[in-house]
Amino acid sequence: MIASYLDGILPKEQIRINDELRHPLGNGGLQLIEANSEEDISKVLAFAYSHNKTVNVISGGTKRGFGGENERADILLSLANYKGIVEHSVGDLTMTVKPGTTLKEITDELHKHGQRVALDASWPELATIGGIIAANDSGPKRLLYGSARDLVIGTRIVYPDGNVVRTGGKVVKNVAGYDMNKLFIGSMGTLGIISEITIKLRPLPKYEGLSLLQFPIGKEQDIREFSIKILDSMAEPVSLEILNPSIAEKMTGNRQDTLAISFEDREKAVLDQENWVETHLPFGGEHVVLHEEDARQWWEKFRHFGPNGYHDTESEADTQAALKVGSNNLDVLVNMVAADNLAAEHHVAVEAHGGIGHGISRIYVKGLPEDIVSYTRALRDKVKEKSGYVVCTHLPFILREAVGVWGEKPGYFALLEGIKRTNDPKNILNRNRFVGGI
Amino acid sequence: MNRKKHRREKPDAVVQRLMNIVGEREVFYLKEDLISYECDGYTMSKGMPKAVVFVKSTEHVSAVVRCLNEEKIPYIARGAGTGLSGGATPLGGEVIISLVRMKRMLHLDLENRKAVVEPGFINLKLTQSISDKGYYYAPDPSSQYACTIGGNVAENSGGAHCLKYGVTTNHILGLEVVLPNGEVIEIGEEGIPDQPGYDLLGLLTGSEGTLGIVTKITVKVLKNPEGKKTVLAYYDDINDASQAVSEIIAAGIIPAALEMMDSIAIEGVESAAYPVGHPRDIAAFLLIEVDGIAAGIDDQIDEILTVCKHNNVREVKVAKDEAERGLWWANRKMGFGAMGAISPDYLVQDGVIPRTRLPEVLGKIAEISKKYELRIANIFHAGDGNLHPLILFDASIPGQSERAAKAGSECLKVCADVGGSITGEHGVGIEKSAEMRFIFSDAEMTAQTNIRAVFNPEDLLNPGKLFPQPGQCVEIKQAGQGDRSTVPVNAMGRGD
Repeated sequence: MIASYLDGILPKEQIRINDELRHPLGNGGLQLIEANSEEDISKVLAFAYSHNKTVNVISGGTKRGFGGENERADILLSLANYKGIVEHSVGDLTMTVKPGTTLKEITDELHKHGQRVALDASWPELATIGGIIAANDSGPKRLLYGSARDLVIGTRIVYPDGNVVRTGGKVVKNVAGYDMNKLFIGSMGTLGIISEITIKLRPLPKYEGLSLLQFPIGKEQDIREFSIKILDSMAEPVSLEILNPSIAEKMTGNRQDTLAISFEDREKAVLDQENWVETHLPFGGEHVVLHEEDARQWWEKFRHFGPNGYHDTESEADTQAALKVGSNNLDVLVNMVAADNLAAEHHVAVEAHGGIGHGISRIYVKGLPEDIVSYTRALRDKVKEKSGYVVCTHLPFILREAVGVWGEKPGYFALLEGIKRTNDPKNILNRNRFVGGI
Repeated sequence: MNRKKHRREKPDAVVQRLMNIVGEREVFYLKEDLISYECDGYTMSKGMPKAVVFVKSTEHVSAVVRCLNEEKIPYIARGAGTGLSGGATPLGGEVIISLVRMKRMLHLDLENRKAVVEPGFINLKLTQSISDKGYYYAPDPSSQYACTIGGNVAENSGGAHCLKYGVTTNHILGLEVVLPNGEVIEIGEEGIPDQPGYDLLGLLTGSEGTLGIVTKITVKVLKNPEGKKTVLAYYDDINDASQAVSEIIAAGIIPAALEMMDSIAIEGVESAAYPVGHPRDIAAFLLIEVDGIAAGIDDQIDEILTVCKHNNVREVKVAKDEAERGLWWANRKMGFGAMGAISPDYLVQDGVIPRTRLPEVLGKIAEISKKYELRIANIFHAGDGNLHPLILFDASIPGQSERAAKAGSECLKVCADVGGSITGEHGVGIEKSAEMRFIFSDAEMTAQTNIRAVFNPEDLLNPGKLFPQPGQCVEIKQAGQGDRSTVPVNAMGRGD
């Protein structure tokens, strides 16, 4: 087969037959197209739309294991080359960026100006801003800084028919029209392709501190009481992340439940809060403090856990999954315990962390495929008891249908379907990647 | 209320159906009862509703909506009616569903930092009811003593402190919504974040009551900051004040609030209920508040004082106690109302600009003032570039209202032309629907109305708002017809 039907749409060197037909994570495409511009994206979609060709989208590839019940589409459109900062308005604390730019590239550039994007998603040198926004990825520091929905102020979107639509704007406060930005954040590219993002920035913190609180195993109640106390105190932690013993061991050398509490402020304010932690330490708890570069490096390492789309091995016993659990803030602790207890029951290895204070936990699972399936089901049942949910943010293609990436459809699913139909009436874009088969 | 003696006209069949749902006394339908519902806080456009229904529960809302759907009668949800863009103003003939009696707090969970309230719950009351425990609700529009949280959700309201804490959308965790077909849905169940599915929470917040009627709201509550300090800085040159704003931000400080007022605005607030004694001959003042961990505040205040002095401040001072701070804020929050003390009428605008363009935009607003021979006071949330030009006029002088409306529209054009927006927190409503064209193309607005059609296919829920009506833009912009107060009504064919 040759790439004939796409000839003339884009230069030949941007199109090739995809020889990687059976990728373990699916979400591929028969033809691989590299987009170098918004115009390229628009041309490809306009063509696909009028010829009823399905399109999957990829950039850094870190989310390739997230959703998708079709092994491949007609076209796999890569935005990895469509990168760069379009505009950085230093005085306005805003930046406009192309979707294929990695988080690390953005961070490095902004650093020169004493600023940053307050998103601490994992694998920053691989994950692109477009992918992070489309998948609504976030990290522990969302506790204070919020997530993509709090930071994105405008986008340009290529709709499935190839037309470009702007949402939001370039100013930090804007209520003109519907807040259409929100529709595209976390929509897994099912409503349009994000071709430009304008995002709010923050100044780099003047000083950083990280308090690591290690608890003897089985002291969940102490952790809970301490967490309630600090949340009710004068302290303004940037993160209040609980690490299960296996991930804590890799981070600290100690196989103990560990709280990672970050403070970012003026030096005096950071030290004052650390002092609060020290004086309210529960019995038996151990307090280790890292500052500045040490704290930054610790978090840097922390951002390299879990599958990233490139480490899936052939060995069945080492099958990987990543689960995102949403719950009430304090139920994170309950879910962490459940994650570990169920791991033993279902013969899988689990590394887990969760934000007490923001309600999102991440659970990285390794084991045999059938054990991963049964583990995820059991965890989902457990989490549901307290109204929480489990979404599989990484799963081999062959397991997705069995596990159900998104869980049950919400009661208002008809509205979601209606929105999808409105934006993508021919259902060509990232088909079956989202909730309820959207 | 003794209403019986007024009951001269008999209720028609629709009103009777509504009475059957909510009770006879809970429906207003006589003209004298309806007059105060002709408009909200935006008074330049008015329309007579068909009736006002006071609902007490989600079931009431759902039943009323189903009934009106069957009757094909348009309807509008309304809270306290403090909106500033006409979002709750009838075009004529709608039924207003008043949510003011749904005003309970249903649940408070401080450990998980959330509260569940009904839509008629008053913004300030939320903070007041949790402040003894050390918590507050962050969005603080100037009307917070009266406006409802339901209205805040509809408008995605802001306030003076959103520079650091964000606007309403950043504080909404869950909503119960009655859809235009009467169906009741719950999104963001229990306030748990990132629920699978498109972000309907974000879409509905700020949709100006056109996608559904919110009947229950889960909000985020925050812990009171440990420390707080407030600075007042007087400037002889407004450009120096603008430069100070930029330098404060550039120094890596995110103040909780960073407000500016120019000399005409100062003349107003000094003539109103809470005069501070600001010098009358200054060009502008900055009101800057820093909050957070107490130990870190003094350093930030020192830096702010340095920046102010570096930019030729005439006088700069730190509030010596809570009473002084309170007075400064009362003076500032009176800003809009205070215009009544120096002008018979005023029109508030709500543009947003990149804050670095402040001096340039202020110059252009001064030109507009000159062109239309109307004084324009400026009150801004300078930190986030949200300007409130207040156009002073006298409606009793023929032609002044029209000139004020044109001047207001031109101010928004200036904001749009520097890459800004036509509204930062007041919403589009009726007032700015034509100006939507300053920032969105037809295709972009169609993308939005297509989404509306998913929720509100017959456009019975708050019709004629947010988007330009057919022909409206052409009439206003090309023929230069400034009197928008009549245009949407005519365009909708529902005028009285």
